[in-house]
Parts: sequence; C-alpha cells; structure tokens
Amino acid sequence: MKAIITAKALSKKYGRLTAVDGISFEIQEGECFGFLGPNGAGKTTTIKMIHCVSPLSSGTLIVNGLPAHIDNRAIKKETGVIPQEITLDIDLTVYENLMVFARFFDIPRREAKKRIADLLKFVELEAKRNSKIDQLSTGMKRRLLIARALINRPKFIIADEPTTGLDPQARHLIWQRLRQLKAQGVTLILTTQYMEEAQQLCDRIVIMHQGKILTEGTPSRLIEDEIGREVAEIRISQDQDEKLIAQLSEMACGHERVGDTLYFYCRDGQNLRRKLIELDLSNTVHRPATLEDVFLKLTGRSLIE
Amino acid sequence: MNLSYRIYYVFFRNLVSYKRFVVPTFIASLFQPLFYLITFGIGMGAYVGLFGGKPYLNFLVPGVLISAVSLSSSYECLFGTFVKMIHEKLYDSLIATPVSAEDAVAGDIAWAVFRGMISGTLMMVVAMFMGVFPVSLPSALLLFVLMAFVGVLFGSLAMIVTSLAPNFDFFNYYTELILTPMLFFSGVFFPLDHFPSWMKTFAKFLPLTPAVAISRAVFSGVYSSGLIFDFLVIFFLEVIAFYVGIKSMKKRLIK
Repeated sequence: MKAIITAKALSKKYGRLTAVDGISFEIQEGECFGFLGPNGAGKTTTIKMIHCVSPLSSGTLIVNGLPAHIDNRAIKKETGVIPQEITLDIDLTVYENLMVFARFFDIPRREAKKRIADLLKFVELEAKRNSKIDQLSTGMKRRLLIARALINRPKFIIADEPTTGLDPQARHLIWQRLRQLKAQGVTLILTTQYMEEAQQLCDRIVIMHQGKILTEGTPSRLIEDEIGREVAEIRISQDQDEKLIAQLSEMACGHERVGDTLYFYCRDGQNLRRKLIELDLSNTVHRPATLEDVFLKLTGRSLIE
Repeated sequence: MNLSYRIYYVFFRNLVSYKRFVVPTFIASLFQPLFYLITFGIGMGAYVGLFGGKPYLNFLVPGVLISAVSLSSSYECLFGTFVKMIHEKLYDSLIATPVSAEDAVAGDIAWAVFRGMISGTLMMVVAMFMGVFPVSLPSALLLFVLMAFVGVLFGSLAMIVTSLAPNFDFFNYYTELILTPMLFFSGVFFPLDHFPSWMKTFAKFLPLTPAVAISRAVFSGVYSSGLIFDFLVIFFLEVIAFYVGIKSMKKRLIK
C-alpha cells in the first residue's frame, strides 16, 4: 500500500480563527479513512483542502503526487465529492443533473449517457430519471449525490457526513454502496459524527477536536487502547462514588463521573460483572465498549456549539 | 485568471435549465421595453414632433433596445447569479470539478450576454413591426456585436455588485440608484445637448451613453469619428469590469 494523500503540519486560518491547527496524516490507497469529531473540529475544512476548494494557510498537502492547490484541475478530475449539504441543481432533472456534471469533467456526451444509465441503476434511481429534484426524498437526493460524485470514475471519493438526516434503510443502502466502491479499489475519505458509521466503514480513523488530531488508529484498536473492552454505567447519586470506586476499582482500568452516571471501563468484564451482581445495584448497564466512548472521552462530554 | 474553454460547460448548464424559464423571461424582457416604446414613443412623440427629420420613435428605438440589453444582462448576473450562488449552492459544486471559479463566473457572464442579446433581438423585431429598421444588413450585424459588448460590460458590472451583496435587498441600491437613473443620463429618451457641460462630460463616461450613441448611428447610418472614442470607452470599462468582477467573485467563492 502506498500513501495517496500526505499532509504535514497542515493549517487553515480564517482571519483570527484557526480551523485546522498543524495536523499531519497519511491516507493509503484503497482504504477508507475517517475524520471524526464534534461540530467545528475542522473535519470539513480539512477535506476541503484535500479536494482543492479551499487554499491552505500553511503546511504541505500532497494528493495523488501533486500539491493540493485551488487551481489544480488534475486533482479535481480524479476526485468525487459527496457534499454535506444537498447541492443538487434544482432547475434540472435527475438525468440533466448528471449530464451537466459529466460535461464539467469533459466526458463526451455518448460516454456520459452510458455512465448515467449505469449510475442510476447503482443508486436505484432509474425510475426517477426524469423527475425534478424537489420530487425526490432526502434519501434519494443523497443517493443522487453519490451518483453525481461517481460520474468521473474518481480515484478517491470524499464524503462529508453522507448520511446526515437519513432513516435507517436509506443509511444502510448508502453504506452498502460506499463499501461496494471500496471493494472496487476506490479510496474513501469520510467525515462523520456517527460512530456507528465510522465503525461500519472505516479502516482507520482520526479523531479531531478544535483543529487538532487527538488520536489515530483502527476503530477497534482505539477502543481497546482508550477504553478497554467493556463499560459499566451505574446511575447512582454522587455521594456513593467513593464507596463504589473502592469496591470496583481493582476490576476496572478506569472510571469517570458524568452527570448522574458513574462509568467504569475495563478490559476483562468477568470479575466486574460478578461483583456488580453481588452488590445488587439496581440502575446498572453493562455493555461492550464502543467508539462513542472513545469519542466522548477524548472530546469531552459538554455540548459543543 | 484561470480561464478555460470550460466556460462553455457553465453556459451549457444554464441553457439546459433555461428551457423551463423561456416563456416567462421572453415575456418579461419583451414587455418592459415595449412599454417604454409605446408610452414614450406614442405619448411623448405626439408632443415632440420630428427629431432630425424623423419621428421620435426612430430616436427612441436604438436607445431602448440597447438599454433592454443592458438591463437583461444586469439582472441575470444580479438575481440569477445570486440565487445560484447562495440558494442553490451551484457554485460550490462547480468549483469542486475541473471548472475553476473563474470559468464559473465567466460562464455566467457569457450566459448574461446571451440573455441580453435575446432581449435586444426581441426589441429589434418589435421595432421592425413599428417601422424602424437598422439602415442595412451590415449595420444590423454591427448591432449584434454591440449588444455582445454591452452584455459583457453590464454582466461584469453586475457581478461586482453580486460579489458584495449580503442579500437580495442590496440589489435595490444598484438597480434603483444606478441602473434606472442611468437611462436618463445616457441619451436613451432625449439628447444630452442641453445638459450643462460638466453633466455632458459625466454622462460620456457612463457605460450606457457610448453604447446608445453607437446604436443610434447603426440605426441612422450616420457615423462620425466620435464613435471610435465611444467604442474605446466601452471596451476599457468592459476589460476593467470583467477583471474586477471575476476576481471579486472568486474572493467570495473561495474561502
């Protein structure tokens, strides 16, 4: 595997605001790489620099062997973008949206027609070929955005929160399609706030917060390293903390009090589970650790607005 | 300036979408100038009598025609572009493809030229029905070239305004305080001979005045050497407006 995207000390400033603060990462050819983080973490800004619609403030960013730059048409030619917002052309039909976009990439008309037929099949929108955009559901619009991103047969696809606002059926269909693309060798770059999405799709992720990368690794590795295997959530008043921590801390590898809940993290749940049964606590949830635990632990639990 | 042949693709996009708007835009760009022609031409014409040996309508048509071109091109790059940029996010999609920001903006200006020329052509047809013709076929062709220049000029000027506009209301300053008054300073409805000399000088450098002068020459067949100066004014204003319009839009589009 070779790196297809390399960023070194990459920064982006908007006036006095630092949106991306000296991050470095490498994305390998053919993998699915995820940027996770709360709102305003700098995910979207980072990928905008990758697909050359936002200039860098400092650092280096090499995409497919070329320096990322706002006027780098060669990079844009190889990139498919699934934007966060639905930016379909509402003056045009489904078919016209794809045809007009194909022309932007210099795809000849006859070739474009073939590709559009294939893509509409791929995203299951054949029946909507001549519909106007406002006649589509949100899920259909998102699928059309995927088809549009694929019209130039891109080497890498950038998906910025591709399933925001979708019902579970639509979301799973989009995950299916993205996995299919990955199987065909396309490099996927994803931003998301949904931990399940990251676990479903990503080979490797970084967690971003306030413009910086906090950690990097495979989802399972990160869970293992940061949290452990299992989590016990005990809803109990705070004055009991000291007693419980004394009783349970030797079985857990960490604990945390958040609001009405005391969390215990552990690698081996057996003993903890037995002890919990022994203590007979009423409001207890015992479950496997997830990426969400990692995310909350690293980026904090307070609201980010 | 990162311009390329991809301007055409942006023009093509507008053409594809246009078929849904053809009827309303035809009606709008036909009737507004038509009202000017009818009310001024017939109403005023009755009072002013002959102008240089010809009916007032012959004076009026060249000016109204060229101002129809200028208004159509302006509106396209004001409201049309603003909707595409802010409401439809079309420019965001465009600049993620090999189409550059410059291509996208120039493509919209090219589209505004086309829209302006449609308006101008419709006006010409109406004028012919009213018995007013360009003097010859070559002069009619010259008129089309002039329309194209006027379209680029006013499309580009409108782009500068759009690049600064926070919302739709902002356009009122430009349309009400600049575009509409300009009609009265540019010799569309009456000659500027009786303006004090400082007003004449001011009017001479307004973008519409030289265009109206050339248009009138094309209709009357009376060419003078002053028209070269008029053409140069249009040309220089146009180069500057095109450059500033594109740069200013790019600044807004790319953050």
